[in-house]
Amino acid sequence: MTQTLTTSRLTLRPLAPRDEDAATAFYMSERSAMTGGHLPRPAAWRAFAAMLGHWQMRGFGLWAVTRKGDDTAIGMVGPYFPAGWPETEIGWVLFDGAEGHGYAFEAAQAAMADARTRLGWTDIVHYIRAGNDRSIRLAERMGARLDPDAPRPEGSSGPALVYRQPGGAP
Amino acid sequence: MIAIPTLTTDRLTLRAPHIDDFDALAAFYASPRASFVGGPLTAELSWRVLAQEAGHWLLRGFGRWVVEHRASGAPIGIVGLWFPAGFPEHELGWDLFEGHEGQGYATEAAHAARSYAYDMLGWTTLISLVADGNDASTRVARRLGARPDGRFTYERFGDMAVWRHPAPSEVAA
Repeated sequence: MTQTLTTSRLTLRPLAPRDEDAATAFYMSERSAMTGGHLPRPAAWRAFAAMLGHWQMRGFGLWAVTRKGDDTAIGMVGPYFPAGWPETEIGWVLFDGAEGHGYAFEAAQAAMADARTRLGWTDIVHYIRAGNDRSIRLAERMGARLDPDAPRPEGSSGPALVYRQPGGAP
Repeated sequence: MIAIPTLTTDRLTLRAPHIDDFDALAAFYASPRASFVGGPLTAELSWRVLAQEAGHWLLRGFGRWVVEHRASGAPIGIVGLWFPAGFPEHELGWDLFEGHEGQGYATEAAHAARSYAYDMLGWTTLISLVADGNDASTRVARRLGARPDGRFTYERFGDMAVWRHPAPSEVAA
């Protein structure tokens, strides 16, 4: 049975091959520049393949966010923990046209609650590129605060700010 | 999730990529050996490569296997069938980790992967892409009976030689 999470307006289901077109289009769009995207199609496809593979490797990953009654993915939200990541992250991206409705907040709250109860996560952070003001506002709305001393992930996506949820280690 | 088949040769097992392969893969991608396949990479990017291997199986129904040395159980490379967005056609690729070159493992594993493509998937042709200067890989392509067949530029690895494998009828027996 496929596990899903539901909120008042959304169904979160595991990311799947059928999300290829929507996710690849996102990674090609300018909208994704703040999350390491705005890529040519081959790199965008690989970025999606890696997101899908995260599920296979870890048994969890970013959920495909869908509106109830419509299976089309409008974003990807959820637990992200690649090897080499300093701490467990709840991440989010909304595809073009899905922003401005509070979907990311609604999905991220559900995904975070599930990560705490089902995955046993306690120290939850959000890595956000400086200048990504919408994501910073969302992290703050979710109760996270900037942690200037937290370790940052090494990698390709540029300098990251670390927003930390209360309740874990410092 | 899909069932990823396991292939067995005299000395090797080709099996699904697994999270426990990360250290071996990250060591390979941090090494100069990976210079022909987009390396050296940080740990995070190595993770993405490993996750892509798994994602490729889900998206395409085929992919690359982790090659395990049967006697030791150690992962020694990644070999298999590769067709990410942007590739001109189905590719047979091989990456051997540090310290396992020179023993015919890449050729042995690639043979098994090619047979799988021809016999189980019904493919009728295959190419391998080899970066200029990657002499060890060129030798493997020759040993497999492949012949030069033009050039291809991949945005990730740059300009590469195309090697065309013999057709199923030419490798029978």
